[in-house]
Amino acid sequence: MPTFKLNGQEIPFEKGDTIIRAAWRAGIEIPHYCWHPGLSVAANCRMCLVHVKSGRQMMMPILKWNEKKQAFLPDTKPKLVPACQQAAEENLEVDSVGPEVKNAQAAVQELLLLNHPVDCPICDQAGECKLQDYYEEHQATLKRKRTEPVHKPKGVRFGPTIVYDAERCIMCTRCIRVCDELVGDHVLDMRERGNRNEIVLAPGRELDHDYTLMTEHVCPVGALTSRDFRFKARVWFLKSAEGVCTGCATGCNTHVDFDPRYGKVYRLRPRDNADVNRFWMCDQGMMTYREVHERRLVTPVLGRGASAEKLLPEDAPSEAATLLGRVKEKGKLAVVLGAGMSSEDNFVAARFAKLFGTSRLYLAARDADAIGWKGDAILKNADPNPNRAGATQVAGRDLADLDDLLADVLAGQVSSVVALGHFGGEGEGKLDALKKLDVVVCLASNEGPLPSVASLQIPVASWAETFGTFVNAKGMAQTFVRAIPAPDGVHPAWKTLCAIAKELGLSLSYERTGDVRNDMNAAAAAADAQPQASA
Amino acid sequence: MEPADEILEDDDEALEIPADPMRLNMGPSHPAMHGTIRMVLDLDGETVMNVDVQPGYLHRGFEKSCERGTWAQVFPYVDRLNYVSPMLNNVGFALAVEKLLDVKVPDRCQYYRVILGELARICDHFTCNGASAMELGAFTPFLWLLKVRDWVWDILEKESGARMTHSFARIGGMAAPPTEGFKDDVRAIMPEIRKVVGEAESLLLKNRIFLDRMEGVGKLSKERALALGVTGPVLRSTGVAYDVRKDHPYLVYDRFDFDVPVGTDGDNWDRFMVRTEEIRQSLRIIEQALDQMPDEGPVSIDDPRIMLPEKREVYSTIEATIAHFKLVMEGLKPPKGAVYSFTEAGNGELGFYLVSDGSGTPYRLRVRPPCWFNLQAAREMIMGDMIADIIPTFGSVNMIGGECDR
Repeated sequence: MPTFKLNGQEIPFEKGDTIIRAAWRAGIEIPHYCWHPGLSVAANCRMCLVHVKSGRQMMMPILKWNEKKQAFLPDTKPKLVPACQQAAEENLEVDSVGPEVKNAQAAVQELLLLNHPVDCPICDQAGECKLQDYYEEHQATLKRKRTEPVHKPKGVRFGPTIVYDAERCIMCTRCIRVCDELVGDHVLDMRERGNRNEIVLAPGRELDHDYTLMTEHVCPVGALTSRDFRFKARVWFLKSAEGVCTGCATGCNTHVDFDPRYGKVYRLRPRDNADVNRFWMCDQGMMTYREVHERRLVTPVLGRGASAEKLLPEDAPSEAATLLGRVKEKGKLAVVLGAGMSSEDNFVAARFAKLFGTSRLYLAARDADAIGWKGDAILKNADPNPNRAGATQVAGRDLADLDDLLADVLAGQVSSVVALGHFGGEGEGKLDALKKLDVVVCLASNEGPLPSVASLQIPVASWAETFGTFVNAKGMAQTFVRAIPAPDGVHPAWKTLCAIAKELGLSLSYERTGDVRNDMNAAAAAADAQPQASA
Repeated sequence: MEPADEILEDDDEALEIPADPMRLNMGPSHPAMHGTIRMVLDLDGETVMNVDVQPGYLHRGFEKSCERGTWAQVFPYVDRLNYVSPMLNNVGFALAVEKLLDVKVPDRCQYYRVILGELARICDHFTCNGASAMELGAFTPFLWLLKVRDWVWDILEKESGARMTHSFARIGGMAAPPTEGFKDDVRAIMPEIRKVVGEAESLLLKNRIFLDRMEGVGKLSKERALALGVTGPVLRSTGVAYDVRKDHPYLVYDRFDFDVPVGTDGDNWDRFMVRTEEIRQSLRIIEQALDQMPDEGPVSIDDPRIMLPEKREVYSTIEATIAHFKLVMEGLKPPKGAVYSFTEAGNGELGFYLVSDGSGTPYRLRVRPPCWFNLQAAREMIMGDMIADIIPTFGSVNMIGGECDR
């Protein structure tokens, strides 16, 4: 691979790379605002100016302050080039830390802060703001300007999700480029010049496509803020865990930002993964964090309607075992895997079915039409279930769906049900047939059609409260980690299933997610090896 | 004085007394065991045959606590090391971080730090000497000496706002410039302090009881003192003229003319006299510093990466707001590396070994507290003396519990 030199260090690059991209790939950050690895080059912030020392030097005439003579005297300085636009070439010698470059960076930074409002104390970006970081790293001087800053519109509603503050904006145009290049919707543009520069909406439009939160995500400063996250938390109190989005079968990688003091998830951010979501996520996916705290099941409930009674969490497994112990024909128990549950949960559920003595496995999955989900060509998959592939994989075969289950119930093939998750069965009264069964045990983290028809609901940990694996539409198994602890007495579904199995006297016991995962992977490897052996 | 058992030995009619050594616990809750120290004594009659000095009853996890906050948040902790002269610890830590940052505070601040530090040293020595006398039954000198502490504390309070735990030094300067009239205030108490030193001497130095309890008691040899890493007045009382201010000058100590008093025997008496003389030397230093200290000019270095900008600027300009935010939320970030920086505190060489990983929080902060090393010598000083001698000996070692937090 060809290389060039950055501050004396050899940096490899591919054909077509710019200096900043090659450095970024090598893990070296050249300070920048407007450049984003997922967007086109704008080269308007001038923060990434570097000095190309090799080749013909272009010297610029300048006036330089002379301390001795107390006057500006003619001098020259080398012409600097933006690293985001300058193509990397073999044997180029680039300097990004020299005095000329430092001078330029300090000047650009000072210019950007010239009219910036004193908003840090009320700005959501504070703590993760590039203006703050670069001020400390590259400027560190106090204000020289003594006149009133230029004022511009603040708190402009751009749409249902985004608010814009023109005073904080540095006009990097990242938001415009996200709309243009990711979504193909030129809904944002810029008007005026210099001090009066401002981002505006297209006439008659709102910022209302499916990726509006990405404009906030790429905003290096606090100009665009998410109405959902606005004023909710200060980012330096948040910790981050690696998650996988549960919105659809794409399985976008996320940062789950939570406050460890309250055990509360505040937002998701896309986690870069070139093979899955690159740098992006859709708005619906970004909002899936809400289900960790909204419409949650926290107490086990035995019975339906008026005769329903709440149980202590620790009594739930034995109550479930009592119910399942009454099942006469074990082969008529249906075990419904969940397309929204992790592979580990589904694997243990499948094992449970086998040990219990039934081969009736079904899959509960959200129906795209019923919940109004539409896929697109960018990220959104047509299937709104994060782990359909994973559930199918652990079952080892294609699974019958909920419609088949209802048919089998009506046909008398199924007399009792153990179901995982709150996905599936959307639509008014769709699952009413299950209400007639005495034994419907549902393990779910949230309210939903399936838990609502169960004769015993047992709350389980949500995806933010447990470790697990989702297999996306491309067949990629992606793991996620626990961000916050589950509510008191609530455990992951696989653990609850193990507790029920223990009460029933079945030999199904796991202590840790890792044990489940090892067994699951071993079973998958064995299943892969078998056809080859027979062939 | 002859020990009682010698008289008994000469008397043939004497009763046979069982000679098994008696084991006695002194402390940790004993009024003379300053700062919860436990001594396990093996006694033969009243003679201390062996002693096991056990610190560790005071444990706040000071060093570990420092690794949680920012560099600037360490100041309140160092206040509570040697809490008899917190200003010296403040300045010592500030100097250590400044060494890590490779910055130097303005001249005016250097003098300011010297003067405040020497005032704190005077307090420290007066307190030690006064308490030593009090524990031997001389209550008047104690109160007489401690009135000086009140005068000094009045000045420190006026400057820093706090009488005892000042937290007044900052990395890169001081929290505030000297108040108006600072020099006059200090100059006003100097002759008074000098008078009290003389009065204390006239009260104690000709007192038979005091002399008997101090002279030749709690001896430490030069060689053992050096071998044990003893510093400060305890080392100088043995005859080694090691003073960090003289041997490794920091701040502006190389610009002053002062002497390093030394003793000869390393006994309680020498330690008492070295401290008394050091008070006079501190007064000399203060006098010269007051004359040399500029009245105008900045006290803190002018770098918003290190010192907090003025509040007026923070509330009205974005640059200062950001600087403030970064310093408060993340702390100043010294470059990666490690330094050892040491100063002469009240009881000897106070060292800070700092390791920075380039973040706003100390990666490791290790203190070399002078008391810790001086305490190691206490066993050898006490052994062979009588049990009652422990009180003046331990008093003149001047162990401060806060420093021995291990």
